[in-house]
Amino acid sequence: MSTGLSYVLASILAFGFHAFVVTLLLLNWDNKDLVESLPIQPYYIEAIVVEENPHTAKKKREQARKAAEKNRKRIARERVNEKARLKQTAIEKAKKQSLEQQIAEQKKRDDELASMELNKAVDREVDLAEDERVKMEQSLTLSILEEQNFRRAVTDDEQALAYVSQIQRDIVQNWSRPPSARNGMQALLRVYLVPTGEIVNVVVEETSGNEAFDRSALLAVRKTQRFQVPAKSRQFERNFREFTVLFRPEDLRL
Amino acid sequence: MNDPISIVDLVVDASAVVQVVMAILIFASIASWIMIFQRGFTLASIKREAIEFENEFWSGKDLRQIYLDLEAREEEPIGVENIFSSGFKEFTRSRQHKGTDADRVMQNVHRAMRVAVSREEERLETHLPFLATVGSTSPYIGLFGTVWGIMNSFREIATVNQPSLSVVAPGISEALVATAIGLFAAIPAVIAYNRYSAQVEVIVNRFDAFTDEFSSILYRAVHSKE
Repeated sequence: MSTGLSYVLASILAFGFHAFVVTLLLLNWDNKDLVESLPIQPYYIEAIVVEENPHTAKKKREQARKAAEKNRKRIARERVNEKARLKQTAIEKAKKQSLEQQIAEQKKRDDELASMELNKAVDREVDLAEDERVKMEQSLTLSILEEQNFRRAVTDDEQALAYVSQIQRDIVQNWSRPPSARNGMQALLRVYLVPTGEIVNVVVEETSGNEAFDRSALLAVRKTQRFQVPAKSRQFERNFREFTVLFRPEDLRL
Repeated sequence: MNDPISIVDLVVDASAVVQVVMAILIFASIASWIMIFQRGFTLASIKREAIEFENEFWSGKDLRQIYLDLEAREEEPIGVENIFSSGFKEFTRSRQHKGTDADRVMQNVHRAMRVAVSREEERLETHLPFLATVGSTSPYIGLFGTVWGIMNSFREIATVNQPSLSVVAPGISEALVATAIGLFAAIPAVIAYNRYSAQVEVIVNRFDAFTDEFSSILYRAVHSKE
């Protein structure tokens, strides 16, 4: 075999070999059976942070009550207005009638007197309408203010939720459960923070009944050392000054 | 991440440096396989011809006749044939000079054959250094690609707010392809290098043995005619 021929043959073989390997790889790469046969078990622990803030709850309830009251008041006011208007028209009618009567009865009565009477009635009417308008305006501004407050509360809640989920992640990351942990156990911890997010105190509020489990939960919170909390002190005071954390393993086989 | 990333995506999406590394490695792999096949053919043919020639040589044929046959052939003599023809040529040429003593003739023949043997050895060993180079360096080249790729993917993590495994994994997977290709190129090269160097050694030993036997025959011929 001459040298040139051997090189050509070797090249063909080498390229063929590589093409073969690449095709094999491409064919076997998407091994769907393998992917499907493996049950996907997401590693899932939930240390639920329960937002239990009596302050906010009270505020919310109060707000709801206020809104209801306002509504009731508004309806009552409208009803009163309606009545007043009805009365007014009745009075006007009566007045007109009496006026006509007067005119009819006392045709010779002075025109000036009649006009004065009319003027007085109109004045009274205008006064009443003005009064009504001012009242309405007041109630409108009040309701706008209320709405604004409500909006702010909603965005605050959303932001708080983001912080809560971050805190949850931090705690879960540091939580290593003892072997004696079982599904269904749960421990409730109360955490006290300072505005920088550092922990002042953690206490077990509701024990799970398993000391090791409680200890692991305490350790998970203490290990975090510092939580990310909103910089705004209003938000911090409202939601994060103290909060409770519920530890509950859910992915265990036992 | 339900659908697995295809290998094409891994190669195409890789960063430029990693792609260059992959290209170098694939080239090295193809080249080394060309060498592997070519060496395989060459060594096999040299071995076969050596056996054939030795059979002819020991068949008791006239050496001059064998030499003339070789000279008459179109192809260049390779392997043992080359050693024989260069030794025999030197032998006849030295003998034609009147007055050169037997030892001198033998020295010349020896030298000529040694030169032929070393030339043949050189021919046997062509491309073997290339295989050795591919075998020893391509894992490092692949590793470089991997380290570079992982470096990049870690830098990406730094920019992501909440890094998760699914952010990091594709980059690392991409990077690891480089190491895989490097190993794929290196392993056959190393195996072939070891195998072929052993074969070359065997063939060279055979040449040496033939040289000794042939020179002893010539020695006898020189001294018997004195």
